[in-house]
Formats: sequence, structure tokens, C-alpha cells
Amino acid sequence: MIELTNQQALAEGARRKTLPVGLFAWLLVAPAMIFILVIVAWPLAETIRLSFMEADLGGETYVGTQNYQDLLESRKFHQTITRTFYWMFISVALKLVLGLVGATLLNAAVPGRGLFRVLVMPPWVIPIAIGCIGWLWLYNGYFGVLSGMAQRLGITDGPFEFLAYKSSAFYSAVVTDVWVGVPMVTLFFLAAMQGVSRDLYEAAWVDGAGRWYRFRRITIPQIMPVIISMSLLSAIFTFNSFEIIWILTEGGPRGATTTLIVDTYKTAIGNYKFGEGSARAVIIVVLLGAFSLAYLAFLNRINRKFGTK
Amino acid sequence: MATLDLNQINKSFGSAKVLHDIDLAIQDKEFVVFVGPSGCGKSTLLRIIAGLEEATSGQIIIGGEDVSRAHPVERGISMVFQSYALYPHLSVFENIAFPLRVQKLAADDLKERVERAAGILQLTDKLDLKPGQLSGGQRQRVAIGRSIVRNPKVFLFDEPLSNLDAALRGDMRVELSQLHRQLDATMVYVTHDQIEAMTMADRIVVLNGGRVEQFGAPMELYHHPATKFVASFIGQPNMNLVPATVEGVDANGVAVSMEGGAKLVLPVDGSNVSKGDRVEVGIRPENVKLDPNGNIDISVRVLERLGGASITYGEIGDNGTKFCASLGGDAKLVEGAQARLSISVDDCHVFGEDGNVLRRKNAPELVA
Repeated sequence: MIELTNQQALAEGARRKTLPVGLFAWLLVAPAMIFILVIVAWPLAETIRLSFMEADLGGETYVGTQNYQDLLESRKFHQTITRTFYWMFISVALKLVLGLVGATLLNAAVPGRGLFRVLVMPPWVIPIAIGCIGWLWLYNGYFGVLSGMAQRLGITDGPFEFLAYKSSAFYSAVVTDVWVGVPMVTLFFLAAMQGVSRDLYEAAWVDGAGRWYRFRRITIPQIMPVIISMSLLSAIFTFNSFEIIWILTEGGPRGATTTLIVDTYKTAIGNYKFGEGSARAVIIVVLLGAFSLAYLAFLNRINRKFGTK
Repeated sequence: MATLDLNQINKSFGSAKVLHDIDLAIQDKEFVVFVGPSGCGKSTLLRIIAGLEEATSGQIIIGGEDVSRAHPVERGISMVFQSYALYPHLSVFENIAFPLRVQKLAADDLKERVERAAGILQLTDKLDLKPGQLSGGQRQRVAIGRSIVRNPKVFLFDEPLSNLDAALRGDMRVELSQLHRQLDATMVYVTHDQIEAMTMADRIVVLNGGRVEQFGAPMELYHHPATKFVASFIGQPNMNLVPATVEGVDANGVAVSMEGGAKLVLPVDGSNVSKGDRVEVGIRPENVKLDPNGNIDISVRVLERLGGASITYGEIGDNGTKFCASLGGDAKLVEGAQARLSISVDDCHVFGEDGNVLRRKNAPELVA
């Protein structure tokens, strides 16, 4: 008796003189809508409002577009944006390449494949904070295994503190970010590869296509829609990747690892400049929004091209 | 083009043996169909010929050359898959051109060969489309196109029509037969559908449990099935098998007493049976006539009026032996009633207890 037909439900409602169907429907979706309004729409609106204010712990004053003008004129802010895109580009590229290589290896018929598939998971499963603290130790100059190995192999003369120099800190953060991000990309690619019909490979094999040829002309085009969606998702995650940088370097040394999201946090929460922080947050939303739209349009074209739509 | 010889092919997957000592000699330009129920090993045998599976032992010889260990390309075979295995992201042109691209053929030559194949298969105006935009029959033709551009010595087909609806399957059967004549090539075709086997094959290989039951021309299999299995596999509706006891053997044949009471002298070679042996008499439904003076009584259970024929299902004798007769479209019968049928002794097959046939003496002459 759980699945009443529409008519039965209406008849039931009429008999009991209960709510009209339209109102009933609204009531059903109300909890979800309220939830979204409270945790997404309202904070977003509030952020946009704050971005036009000079706001700190002392109060709020309306300053118009001043916060945005300051940002656009700031050389430091331009550097941050460039750094953020560079960070995103290099990290996503590494994740995609490693994910593709990893998925291909995991998809190959090797003994113990099941075990390897499980071993890919930990970076993704371990809480990011705990993983990052592990990396902090790895990067440590005096106690870290990396510095130790570099010394024993004669690559460095003494202890090398990876997170103490601008360039090494940046790339160390990239490595950790890639470590966290690769498993998800790998598993999605693996799932996509397993969805490719075996017949396609057999047909190509009978026609004489070698391993690389099959990979290039069958695997890649067949999983292209997943590659595109994963690169979009991965780009957004990486752009907004905060915990990893914050735990490793807090954006330092001398701003070398300060991406847009870290800058926003430092401004709004660290320095209590809520207005200026909000302006940065709004810029992130606009940038990512534009980026996503462009990407989705591209994805549509790819899907058409590769015959999945 | 080439002959294809299989010598003592065996195949095991782990401890499961799926093919037992397969010996076949397929002639140049012959259309041979492997037929059998699911799990009989027909697809595995085809994949071994293709080089997609390796035989556990035995030799594959194509055009006189031992290719048992050779790569599919070196074997000079091409294969059409049940799923068509078309590349969804490539156009029809590129799908057909795929094997030639692998060979790095020059562009003009490639274009010419793809267009020739497309012409043969009436795909010329579809070359720019994607496989997703084609009907089932057209996709099938693209898959065939991809196999013919390479000019292989032997074409292999793995149940290529099983994804098509019944009407289209009939059309494609005719097209494939025509294609065979046009290309004049050796073709090996796997199916579980005996109608495809009967209509297209020059010769049929009936496989059962990983063994060759019989290898022969379609009408030979129909009139001279070597075993009970072949007899009941070939022919539609299936042959009736009526238990019987041998009453005597002489120069005229074997006298039997059938379930249901009929006593007949069947003109078959009786050298392997003697009085008292249990045998089975095989009677094709289409060889039975409605006849008040006949020799078999049937209680009719179900009647299927197909228009041109009435397929009559019923029982004979006291033990409920099932019997099927294909009678005239307007045969005067009712479900639940009794009817009397007659069969000609010349049309009867007799199978010994081992399932092997006793050779018929008066079977019709085979037609090509």
C-alpha cells in the first residue's frame, strides 16, 4: 500500500480534506530548498554585499567598488592570480598524466591487480590534514627522509629545508597536492577504461594495431569525455585547494605559495578585512564560473565529436 | 584466397577442456558455417583461427602455411564481431580505413580501397556519418567493410546477425551470400541459428561439446545426419525421436516395433543392431501426413496454425512420447482429439543406442 497511484492519492487527500497537492509538493521540497538557501544562497549574497563594504571587527561602511579597484591596481594581486593559474595548470596536468598512466597500469592484466587497485586509495582516503603532516616531516631538513636521502646521495651538502625557499616550497606543495588528487583521477580513468568494449581492442588487434596505436586511437578517444570532466573537476578542486597549502606553508615563504584562496583567507580571517576578503572571494566565484562555463561548452563539443551524444 | 586446415586442435581453459581434437579441411572459396548450441566451442574455435586465442595444441594452416603461432595480421584473416566492434568516435570512412591506417597505406590508395568497399556494401553516401547514426544493418555492413579492405585470405564472422531483428536478418543472409559470391573468398561463419547455417553454407560443421559431430553439405546433414544430435539440431521443427525395439534384421532393413504400436520395416543398414536392441526412430514433422489409413495415432494437444502449415503437437503411445507433425494449413484437426498419421518408411531415420545413425538406403538423391 505504499505506492499509491496519483488518483488514489488525490482521492485520499480529498476525503481527508487535507492539503492541496501543489502546496504538498512545495512542502516536500522545502527542507532541501531551505538548506540550500541557508548554506549557499545566503552566504553568497552576504559575501557579495560585504565586498562593497569596508568591514572589520569595528563595523561596516559602504565604499562602493573601492575594494575591487584596489585589487585591480595591486601588483601583488596580479601576481597572486598568475601564481594561482600556474599552480592549477601544473598540478592538474600532473594529476591527469599520472592518473592516465596509473589507470593504464591498473587496467593491465597483471597478477595482484586487485591489491594495487586498493593501494591507490590511501592518499584520497586519509584525511588531508594527516597526510599533510606526514609530508611536513618528509620535507623537513633535519629529520626528513628526502633531505636525508639527498645528503647521502651527495645531491646536497647539508640539510635541505624544502619548505624554506620560494621555489622549492611551491613545487613541494604541488607534489603534495598531486599526491592527494591523483587517486580520484586514476580511479575515474580506470572506471572509464573498463567501460571500453573489449571487442574494440580485439578488432584493432586483429587489424594489426600495436599497443600504443590502440591506446592512442581507441582508449584516449573513448575515455575523452571522462578526461574532460575530470580535468574540470580537478581544476576547480586545485584552484580552491586550501588545506594543503595552509598546513605546509601558510602561503609562505614570502607569499611564494599564496594562491587566491589562501590570499582570501589571510585577508578576511587573518587580517579581519572582511570587505577586501569578500571582494577576493567574489573574484574567485566569477573566475571559476567563467572557467566552468567555457569548459562545459567545450565538453559538449567533445561529446559530440566522440559520438557519445 | 586460400584453404584452411585445422589439425588436431585442442583447447583447455584451466581444467575445462572445450575443444577436442578438431580436424577440418576447408577448401578455397568455401563458405563454411560452424553451428551448435551455446557452449559447444564454436566461437572459441573461430577465435583460435583468428589468433585471438591460442590453441592448447594443434596446427592451423592457412593457404598451406602453418600460422599456429602467427599474429592475426600475418595469418591473413579478418574478423567481423558479433557486436560489430565499430569505433564510435570515428566516421564510417575512418572505421573502414582503420586497418589500412594501421598499415600506413598511402592516402590515395587508402581512399580508393575504402570507396571500393563502400561501393560494394552500398555505404558510399554514409561515409561521413558516425556509427551511432546508422541502423543495425548498416553498422553490420561497415564492420564487413572494415574486414574486406584488407583483402584477407579468410573471412571470419562471429554470429554477425544475432543483434539484428528477424526481418533484417533475412535480408542480411541474402546479402552475405551475394557478398561471398562477389568476393569469391573463403569464409568461416559462426552461428547458433540452424537456418543461417542451412541457407548460407556450402558446408556445415556441427559442433557439440567441443567435438565435431558432422561436417557436410546442408542437404547431406538433413538427409543423412550422422548422429541423433545432428538430426535433432538440423531441421525446423525438430525431428521426432520415437523409442522402438528391433524385431528383426534382414536384407530389406530393420523391423521395429515403435512406441504407440506401429510395426514397420525400415530400409536402413542393420549390420550394427540385432533383435531386441533399443533404438530410436527419427521422423521429421514435415514427412508426416494426415491419413485415416495411416500407421501412427496421435492425441493432439496444441495446434499452431501458421497459414501454410499447421504445426501439431501431441503425444503417441501410452508413455506420453511427444510428437510433432507439420500438416497442411487447412488440416481438419482439433485440439484434444485423436488423429491418425502416416509416414513413409523411406523417410525414417534410425539411431542406435550410442546415438549413431543406421545408414538409410532409400534417401533422396542429394541436390547441390
